Amino acid sequence: MSATARPLGDLVYARSGDKGGDANIGLWIPAGRPDAAVDWLLTTVTVDWVRTLLPEAAELEIDLVPLPNLRGINIVIHGILGAGVAEGVRFDPQAKALGEWLRSRYVVIPDALVESGISQ
Amino acid sequence: MAESVKRSIRVGNCSGFYGDRLSAMREMLEGGPLDVLTGDYLAELTMLILGKDTMRDPSLGYAKTFLAQAADCLALALEKGVRLVSNAGGLNPAGLAQALDALGTGARIAYVDGDDVRGHLEDFPDALTANAYLGGFGIARALAAGADVVVTGRVTDAAVVMGPAIWWHDWDRGDHDRLAGAVVAGHVIECGTQATGGNFAGLFDAIDAGLVEDPAQPFGFPIAEIAADGSTVITKHAGTGGLVTVDTLTAQLFYEIQGSTYLNPDVTTDLTSISLRQLARDRVEISGTRGSEPPARLKVAVNRLGGWRNQVEFVLTGLDIERKAELLRAQVEAALPDLQRSWSTWRAPAPDSPTEEGAAVLQRLTVWSSDEAAVGRAFTGPAIELVLASYAGFHVTAPPGKASAYGVYTPTYVDRELVHHTVHLPDGTTEVIA
Repeated sequence: MSATARPLGDLVYARSGDKGGDANIGLWIPAGRPDAAVDWLLTTVTVDWVRTLLPEAAELEIDLVPLPNLRGINIVIHGILGAGVAEGVRFDPQAKALGEWLRSRYVVIPDALVESGISQ
Repeated sequence: MAESVKRSIRVGNCSGFYGDRLSAMREMLEGGPLDVLTGDYLAELTMLILGKDTMRDPSLGYAKTFLAQAADCLALALEKGVRLVSNAGGLNPAGLAQALDALGTGARIAYVDGDDVRGHLEDFPDALTANAYLGGFGIARALAAGADVVVTGRVTDAAVVMGPAIWWHDWDRGDHDRLAGAVVAGHVIECGTQATGGNFAGLFDAIDAGLVEDPAQPFGFPIAEIAADGSTVITKHAGTGGLVTVDTLTAQLFYEIQGSTYLNPDVTTDLTSISLRQLARDRVEISGTRGSEPPARLKVAVNRLGGWRNQVEFVLTGLDIERKAELLRAQVEAALPDLQRSWSTWRAPAPDSPTEEGAAVLQRLTVWSSDEAAVGRAFTGPAIELVLASYAGFHVTAPPGKASAYGVYTPTYVDRELVHHTVHLPDGTTEVIA
């Protein structure tokens, strides 16, 4: 099966936000994409995968919460928005665009999953 | 004998934060039928902003934009029989209720408080604000008592939607699945247009698929039609911009969640149980939601004044950008060795830019301190003194600014017994919600 390095966002949608000093990123496969893409996402996303794509999370505690009923997975990154005195010093202090940054990172994705297209 | 099942309650949202579209309340009232119009005005940061307001003037502390909206729309809401429920009371729901009453519309106003737990937290003697997240039963009681408007302090974002559903369907505390269904409906519409195409990663795919006729048309605010069994249809008024799809709802369901359960003071919601189905254009059903006992303790949002912060943004242009940044850092380090600081990261622009802006990057320096003076002139002075004494092409994006106060937000938990969830009814009586 052929696969190509391309932006994650070619296959995956995301929304990110903040809870205190923690950020979360929901990643999911849009309606109309095949279930095989959901299987790929749920097996591809690991703590190491997140640390590699988002280097500033390399040292942080990360929780992964699969939500197959929503065709996706929630990533919680603890402390990425700072705590205590440094609160709010990070660029994008409310993690509004953390998901869009992650979608712009290149990952190797099976071509068949991307080429199946979205039939809305 | 089969019990008669009441029709779904139609609950709209017209605000996702303090500062959202001011005209939304009027748009929602004029755009089509509703039973209740709700709004969320309180983010974690908003409580700090309101806290600072009360430091200046104790009669403030509520979301002033809600009062402005009510001044414009309350008579219209009364005429249409639409009740208003919002958490715009912030730190001073009594003050907002009084201001609403002074509008002279004759509306029956109720308010909910008891969320303020300052003084009860041994670990946070310096809290500027400390508010327990209350649930929806106080709001439901106020609506049952005939309130046209209910304003609250820190209830959960979902509670302003769940409260009306509890009242309408006469649910009780043991109806966990129904309450959980209403929490999900509330979570989906609490952030306004984030459910209808705003901040949505799939917007361009939707436009390309012909699902959004005019992307420049303001996105409509969301509506939840909550049925007696807790299942819900999310939609928006006909003719408004944006879209409601399984994906716009999935986006919002993922927003600001943590584990596989979603905790509220009235119910614990199992996020793995939610099922979404597109019924028709701009109509999506949420069903299957399961709930269980709520957590024993209540969450409290604590805001303290953390200190003072300031920043300067330097522009680095053209050749040798990395070396220019290195020189700048070394010079600032030498001039201000003791200041806590953070330098922004960037990537050098592509060479041979046809515009000056395209050849430049912004290097932001943020500093913070417990001492206002240390990050005021004592910081901007030495930074700006480098103008003629640093790398070639040195300039900054703005004149030196004053230090600004920043807050530190900390979540904590308290026993329910410490919190006296109280509803003040339109007839002047007061009840404590168990």
